[in-house]
Amino acid sequence: MRSGFAIVVLAASLTLPATRAAGQAPASARTSDGKPNLQGIWQVLNTAAWDIQDHQARLGVPAGQGIVDGNELPYLPAALAKKRANFENRATADPETKGYLPGVPRIMYMPFPFQIFQTADQVVMVFEYDRGVRNIYTNGTPHPRGPLNWWMGDSRGRWEGNTLVVDVVYFTDQTWFDRAGNFHSDALHLVERFTPTGADHITYEVTVEDPNVFSRPWTMRMVLYRRKEPNVRVLEYDPGRLMDQEQAGR
Amino acid sequence: MLHQEADVRIRHSALVLALALIVVAPLVAQEAAKPKTVGGCPAEPAAFHTCALEKAKSFTPPKTATGKPDLQGYWRAQLSQAFSVEGVSGNEPLVGSRVMPWEIAPAMIVDPPDRKIPYQPWAVPIGRIGENHNKYIDPRTACGSGGVPRLALQDANQILQPAGDQFVLWLFEDHHVQRIIALDGRPRLGDNIKVTNGDSRGRWEGNTLVIDVNNFNGYNWFDDSGNFYTDTAHIVERLTMIDRDTIHYEVRVEDPRVYTRPWTLAWALVREKEAGFELLEEACREGERDLDRLRQAGAKFYFGDTWRGR
Repeated sequence: MRSGFAIVVLAASLTLPATRAAGQAPASARTSDGKPNLQGIWQVLNTAAWDIQDHQARLGVPAGQGIVDGNELPYLPAALAKKRANFENRATADPETKGYLPGVPRIMYMPFPFQIFQTADQVVMVFEYDRGVRNIYTNGTPHPRGPLNWWMGDSRGRWEGNTLVVDVVYFTDQTWFDRAGNFHSDALHLVERFTPTGADHITYEVTVEDPNVFSRPWTMRMVLYRRKEPNVRVLEYDPGRLMDQEQAGR
Repeated sequence: MLHQEADVRIRHSALVLALALIVVAPLVAQEAAKPKTVGGCPAEPAAFHTCALEKAKSFTPPKTATGKPDLQGYWRAQLSQAFSVEGVSGNEPLVGSRVMPWEIAPAMIVDPPDRKIPYQPWAVPIGRIGENHNKYIDPRTACGSGGVPRLALQDANQILQPAGDQFVLWLFEDHHVQRIIALDGRPRLGDNIKVTNGDSRGRWEGNTLVIDVNNFNGYNWFDDSGNFYTDTAHIVERLTMIDRDTIHYEVRVEDPRVYTRPWTLAWALVREKEAGFELLEEACREGERDLDRLRQAGAKFYFGDTWRGR
């Protein structure tokens, strides 16, 4: 079934006329080295940045269906207490309010576009939000020797058929999963799976493991949508600088 | 990989200490190797520039699978320094500074022949260790991007030519900056969208990557001296390999509001050949501890106040 679907997708993208405006070449399903082509400008259409679980509306926060499988986060008892405290204090306790990098996976579902680039050795993701960058090395290199604490972790990827599988480690404990106070320790370990499901959609799945905080791994899942406006591009949102400007009265 | 770990620890400590230390690391790296020639050309910016233009005529660069010049890899600046694009003379008082001594160095300006920025009269007291330098926090110190072209003279960078030849991606370790250079013939952004590193549109002219940059917000300096441009600047960069490990990097700056004529900088990008080299994360704002103290002490953040309205 899987290969049949892929063939249909490939045929569809080869025969579609190039209807995009100047500045947007038609995306081919495969790069010249035969890998799935994830390149382009993508964005989520969910409310996960506010809360990755089911939530009703609050003033300024839209209602949203969660992106967590089973909608349950298996917190260890002490960690659950911390989550609740985080939620109460979120307006100031959320590190994102200080203009810091939101970390991974949160940067993937911030409501801003990002662009994916591919070479034989690297998949690079460039984010409008806070100039974020993720270098995902697909050249067979292992994670460097730790310990390391990076805001965006260290990402090593490989292709499994139509899916880019990425292993991410070496985080700080300074980022949250969302504005609702869901958090992790520096033992966070992610396995991400990016699977194109057509020319303009990628299913993005993240398995989260953190034995300091959760009693078992859990998975989140969402759709990445291709931005299709003519001449669309990644602009700039630098929250730290914008806060400095506000303080300077500029 | 030990090198990378040690490097990361040094950077973490540096961010917590005095701000001057943030700038020291790349300077130390440059001091360690002062070559007599770069890419077979003299090791002085103007002499390098003339020689490199000539060498470029007869050098055929390696090509990508799709036949484009292959500029990919990790690069470090040579023949550049962060203090002043106009050079640093022995008379400069900051050469004797005890916190971070400036080095005597030639100008990176190769045109006009006097190698000074051809400022309009109103702009002269603002750049050149003037009002910008004396009254404002260096925007790079405040964890902003170094901007174009200052980014390309600090720390390591990486050029990628992703599949499809629609973009060149230029990544900089410094403050995790990236520049997306569009090769697809798209139109300019409208004038009301201004971004820190400008909007870059590129094309190949023979073996040269030509990059047209507009739509700056003007919140950046060229150097530590506070030499500056505004949000109406137009910068054209030209990157040409002159041998397998050397790129001639030329930058032409145009802004009739600020300068009496266009002017040009040049230096070299030399290939970083350490096995297993990768750009590391440099999370400036997340580690910065001194900005609030500076702000409380009355220091001002630079958002183009000195040129706004001129």
